[in-house]
Amino acid sequence: MLKRLLAITTLIIIGYWLAQGLAGVPFGQDRMLVGKYYLEHVVEQTGAVNAVTAVVVNYRGFDTLGEVTVLFIASTGVGALLWSRKKRRTARTEGSIVLTTGTRLLAPFVMLFGVYIFIHGHLTPGGGFPGGATIATAFLLLYMAFVTYEIPHRAFEKIEGAVGMTYVIVGLIGLAIGGYFLYDWIWQTWGWGHDNIGRLFSGGFIPIIYTIIGIKVGTELSGIIDNMIKEEVSK
Amino acid sequence: MNGQYASLLIALPLLSAFFVPLIKGLGERGIKYYLAVITALQTGIAAWVFQQVYSTGKPIIVMAGGWKPPVGINLYIGHFAALFVLIVAVVSFFTAVFSIWSMKVQPIDKYAMLFLLLMLGATGMIATGDIFNLFVFMEITAISAYALTAYNKTGEAAEASLKYMILGGIGSSFFLIGVALIYGSLGTLNMAQIAQLAGNMNPTVAQVGLALIVFGLAVEAELFPLNAWAPDAYQAAPHAITVMFSAFVVKAGLYATARLLYLMQAVGSWHDVLKLLVAMATLTVVVAEFAALRQKDVKRMIAYSSISQVGMIAFALALGSQAGVDAGVFHMVNHAVVKALLFLGVGYVGIKLGGTAMENFQGLGKRMPLTAFALTIGSLAAVGIPLFNIFWSKVRILIAGVEAGYTWGVALILGASVVEAVYYLRFIHAMWFAGEGERMREGLAISLILLLLAALVIVIGIYPDYIWSLAQKAGSDIFNVGQYIKNVPLMEVGA
Repeated sequence: MLKRLLAITTLIIIGYWLAQGLAGVPFGQDRMLVGKYYLEHVVEQTGAVNAVTAVVVNYRGFDTLGEVTVLFIASTGVGALLWSRKKRRTARTEGSIVLTTGTRLLAPFVMLFGVYIFIHGHLTPGGGFPGGATIATAFLLLYMAFVTYEIPHRAFEKIEGAVGMTYVIVGLIGLAIGGYFLYDWIWQTWGWGHDNIGRLFSGGFIPIIYTIIGIKVGTELSGIIDNMIKEEVSK
Repeated sequence: MNGQYASLLIALPLLSAFFVPLIKGLGERGIKYYLAVITALQTGIAAWVFQQVYSTGKPIIVMAGGWKPPVGINLYIGHFAALFVLIVAVVSFFTAVFSIWSMKVQPIDKYAMLFLLLMLGATGMIATGDIFNLFVFMEITAISAYALTAYNKTGEAAEASLKYMILGGIGSSFFLIGVALIYGSLGTLNMAQIAQLAGNMNPTVAQVGLALIVFGLAVEAELFPLNAWAPDAYQAAPHAITVMFSAFVVKAGLYATARLLYLMQAVGSWHDVLKLLVAMATLTVVVAEFAALRQKDVKRMIAYSSISQVGMIAFALALGSQAGVDAGVFHMVNHAVVKALLFLGVGYVGIKLGGTAMENFQGLGKRMPLTAFALTIGSLAAVGIPLFNIFWSKVRILIAGVEAGYTWGVALILGASVVEAVYYLRFIHAMWFAGEGERMREGLAISLILLLLAALVIVIGIYPDYIWSLAQKAGSDIFNVGQYIKNVPLMEVGA
């Protein structure tokens, strides 16, 4: 009882202190030092009409490379911890007819929609991460509907690595052409798409990077599902 | 060569980690050698950067995407980062070589990827000049560390990893809220600009934000009371990984704490946060030393000793004086050398004799004299005997502590050091004066690494001046915030 009382008192004190801190932050007021700069220069500097995407992939692309790496680590970690020499699906119950038929009809469209999301990242809300997650949903549907279904996980692993390398190589090409790592050489040096703003072929390297991220996130999340759903079998 | 090429420090480990799935066909040995080659390359790049920074005396500012800060993200490779990126790379190279022989648990390809990404994360944390980017690299470091802690796939490893993950997750969210508070009130994420504007911040907000950040980083920096995960993780992780944890992962957390702390110097409530950190650091030292005394497992004992040393570094960094920061950086270098030596030696014995319990070390002087010799040097250095490297940095920390007016902290640390001497001498006694055993063959590469590190301990112990001058430069890189702001080419944005 005394312990609980002590804990509650501590929590109240810490909560009050945090609330004091939060109360002092002028949220909602015009405090956009850097944000304003982005809004004013985004189209001319990056060619993307979606400012959020431009910040994520171009201005702060270095963070995004890091975030992609975080996801890669998560999938690699799951792979490392659930590793065994031989793994197989052991589920027995077939999906219901609604699920199987629905999956047959929908899976290709779900994937297509995922691709749409990441290709249009510089124009509409969305981008590589949600697009990739949508693609992985299609694979999850396939897993749930069919007990024997398996993704080609070896190939997926290789694709995952290869697109990851492509991302870094895109950055290194920027270093070679423009002199800076992750420099958008397509928009700024070559000047492609300047008269195409607001349409698909614009935005410099943003669509390329979002395609890379989309494929990577899709294969990674599917790989995690695959790793978690299978069980070890003794030979 | 152009300074922007320093971005290879980040690009190379990333590229080579992504490349591993494509060369799975090389087999286990091939991947292990590949790991050693990549870390050797990284060492080369880091050595070039180190040479550049220390010969010109100017930091390298890498601007990702070509955007000037604060619009884009910049890396700030100053005296501190150049020195520590080199240490990260060298230690990684040693552990990669050690892994060739020691790593037997499957799947090696995943191990290689996580290994490279752990190195990448620590490098990034040390090099970045953007507070959110720091968070991203902290996540990279932490998540690969969780996975590697559990890598041996034993029950203990899973438990340790889970503990680490829960505490680490709480720490990261604290850190993120702290960053949000600072961003909310200043509107920028660039560290130099934060330092520039810090004076205008509402003192309560600054205090809360900074304290949250310090608490969040304290998990990575292994400060009491957020270090409960550390001994378990150190013990359960593969031996090579323990070396990396102690030699640089914890240093990255410490550095980030110190860097952010000094950036916010201009804040009105700054001294309260310093006091909080000094108290946490002193408690870390005392608690860890007494815990170490009771351990029957050598790896765990050294893990506790490592934590206590880390507490001492945090104490020095939190003193708020130039002398304290210099001494703390000097101790960081020495601690990296000594703990790399000790954990490598202990790991080597652990694999050779099938465990790291104290009994296995009895008669080690007769069975593996070279390893026992290296471990003895490391232990003596850790205790802080004169003419070994840690002596100098410990003395400087204690003097700086007294100068800064924390005599009580210094007294507690000195008392704890006596405890440290007791268990290290017990360890040395077990190696040389107890037990019997046949002479065993000791591997060439590992003996060479151990002897090299032991030689380094003694050389720094006898001629501390060179490393001390490096540490002073690196220390003023952290302490002298005015210079830091001047070095970053901030562009004018907004009003």
